[in-house]
Amino acid sequence: MIVCPKCGNKEMPGTLFCSECGTQFASASRDPTLTIPSSLADQIHDRVAEETGQDVPPTPEDANLSLFLVDTGDVIPLEGLTEYTLGRSAEDQPILPDIDLAPYNGYEFGVSRLHASIKITAPNALLTDFGSANGTELNGQKISPNQPYPITHGDIFTLGKMKIQLLVNRSGS
Amino acid sequence: MENQTLYELLGLPRDASLEEIRHAYRQLVLRLHPDRNVKEGETELFIDIQQAYERLADPVKKAEYDDRLPADIDLETPINVRLYYSQPSLVRLAEPQVTYALLELHLHPDTGLLVSSVPLNVSLVVDCSTSMQGIRLDTVKLTAIDLIRQLQPNDIFSLVKFNDFAELLIPAGSRSEIKSTEMKIQLLQAGGGTEIFKGLEMGFNQVNRSLSRDRVNHIILITDGRTYGDEESCEGLADRASAMGIGISALGIGSQWNDNFLDRIASKTGGISKFVTDISDIRNSLLGEISRLGSNLTEQINFNYQVPHEVELRSAFRLQPDPSPLVLGSPLIFGYMPRFGAMKVLLEFVVKEIPARVTDFSLARGFMNYEIPRHKVKTHYVERLLFDRTISRDPIREDPPVEILNAVKLIALYRMQERASEAMGKGDVTGATRHMENLATHLLSKGEEEMAESVMKEVAYIRRNQSYSEDGEKRIKYGTRALLLPAKTKEKKT
Repeated sequence: MIVCPKCGNKEMPGTLFCSECGTQFASASRDPTLTIPSSLADQIHDRVAEETGQDVPPTPEDANLSLFLVDTGDVIPLEGLTEYTLGRSAEDQPILPDIDLAPYNGYEFGVSRLHASIKITAPNALLTDFGSANGTELNGQKISPNQPYPITHGDIFTLGKMKIQLLVNRSGS
Repeated sequence: MENQTLYELLGLPRDASLEEIRHAYRQLVLRLHPDRNVKEGETELFIDIQQAYERLADPVKKAEYDDRLPADIDLETPINVRLYYSQPSLVRLAEPQVTYALLELHLHPDTGLLVSSVPLNVSLVVDCSTSMQGIRLDTVKLTAIDLIRQLQPNDIFSLVKFNDFAELLIPAGSRSEIKSTEMKIQLLQAGGGTEIFKGLEMGFNQVNRSLSRDRVNHIILITDGRTYGDEESCEGLADRASAMGIGISALGIGSQWNDNFLDRIASKTGGISKFVTDISDIRNSLLGEISRLGSNLTEQINFNYQVPHEVELRSAFRLQPDPSPLVLGSPLIFGYMPRFGAMKVLLEFVVKEIPARVTDFSLARGFMNYEIPRHKVKTHYVERLLFDRTISRDPIREDPPVEILNAVKLIALYRMQERASEAMGKGDVTGATRHMENLATHLLSKGEEEMAESVMKEVAYIRRNQSYSEDGEKRIKYGTRALLLPAKTKEKKT
């Protein structure tokens, strides 16, 4: 018997995809999204918690919105689109996310290839998780997949274990 | 059909075993069985088959017949078969297991040259019930007129209209003046109910009148409604049509027709069923279907098989040329082989147990038979197809071949949609929306954003209204099915 790691559905040996949620089973999957064991996850969480006290860097002047990667201190401006997909690039992947988190250790942080999206609307931006393997948290609360959640300046959301803060440049608007 | 051998008549290889002869005969009788008023020609075929069986089932008579039989033309088979399995061998387990086989049929490059184009023997069966009134029927009329203008002089065409009754508007083989034919079509009126069997039966009789192995014998049904109470008769007719080499394709317009029913009818005869959302699609679908029929290489490919009692063929799905689940049974009707491109069928077997002390095990054994009309040398082909596996004790660490993985992955999407639909049927809205959200997620990760969005909109609609939107269910079903088309994947890659 195979038990689906995602939804717990039981399948016969030899089955390649979970009939309940469509998850591809172990031996068959190449480049799976890393599932972080809880102990390691807690370590990272603790480390991140210490670092959140640091000062928020100024955003680039020409961008209205940007993403601040809490763990690395990088700032990614959001320009040119009204909706951004967040994820990480991998080999053989035909569709790339608009914001590629692979260079920021997205894999190690448990970011899925297409993890979530941010849609720019007034007055809030909307964050939607795509049913990612490790989920998305918003200000410490896990959000339901495929449902948009409003986010504003200063909100911290977590893709897998990657902490990201949304910055809104108010002087620009 | 005089120069057919008895083996060809029963669709058997010449080295068929007695068991195979019996099986083929029984299946044909079941499918052809004249349980209702029998038409001329059908009885003859029925008697021919009975006589063929009586001779081949008797060892003495069979030996006599075989002696007089001219040697089979030894020709390279025109279709190459490639088989992929999800595992290099079966693993001995204490519990039931699933295993997949992918059958890829490729045309031998020389074969196309040996075949001239095949004339049509087609009956168009048009639903003229009240709901067709207006632009739907008008579009069908215009398309039918276009279609008639495009026919070749040696094509045979008939047109049947039906509602509560069937009426023969253009009889097969009539060479009446084009003007008056067009006038008849223009004057078609909508009104009444939908009794598909009546229309289908009349179309069947028209095609049967000019039935010929040198033609593509096909019925095209256009409907926008649900038929009531005569589904079983329709399926029986489809079985009979299929055994006689007549295919049925169905175009469903709008949201009211019964997709599962038309899928079965089409699949039983190797035809296709299509969902037409947009009125403007009627034209393309119908003309496309006609040109598709003309460009097929083979008549329907049948796979006659037997499985050991430890094995069950759980599902069969044609991925190419026209993605569709196949109706299970032996023979399994694979459908028509296109002149260009391949045919791919995925078989899902459940092995309940592997007998003790064996090292080889057969999932299924049988033979595939098909005809290539107008082939200059030989028209009837039978090829053995064996799904023989070795058994290993150790678990398999290898990944399945990418061909299998891709096929199963796409079918998994289709199944999710199916499960959502099943859940809705049982009134389980939560279950249905869960399956659809899963589907949307996988569509997104495949880069099918448009389709994913459409599924999510449907989820929102279902949450509000506790039911599918107007044509939401069909849109998602045929949308996910269309993802299986190779053209679609290529388009997405560029």
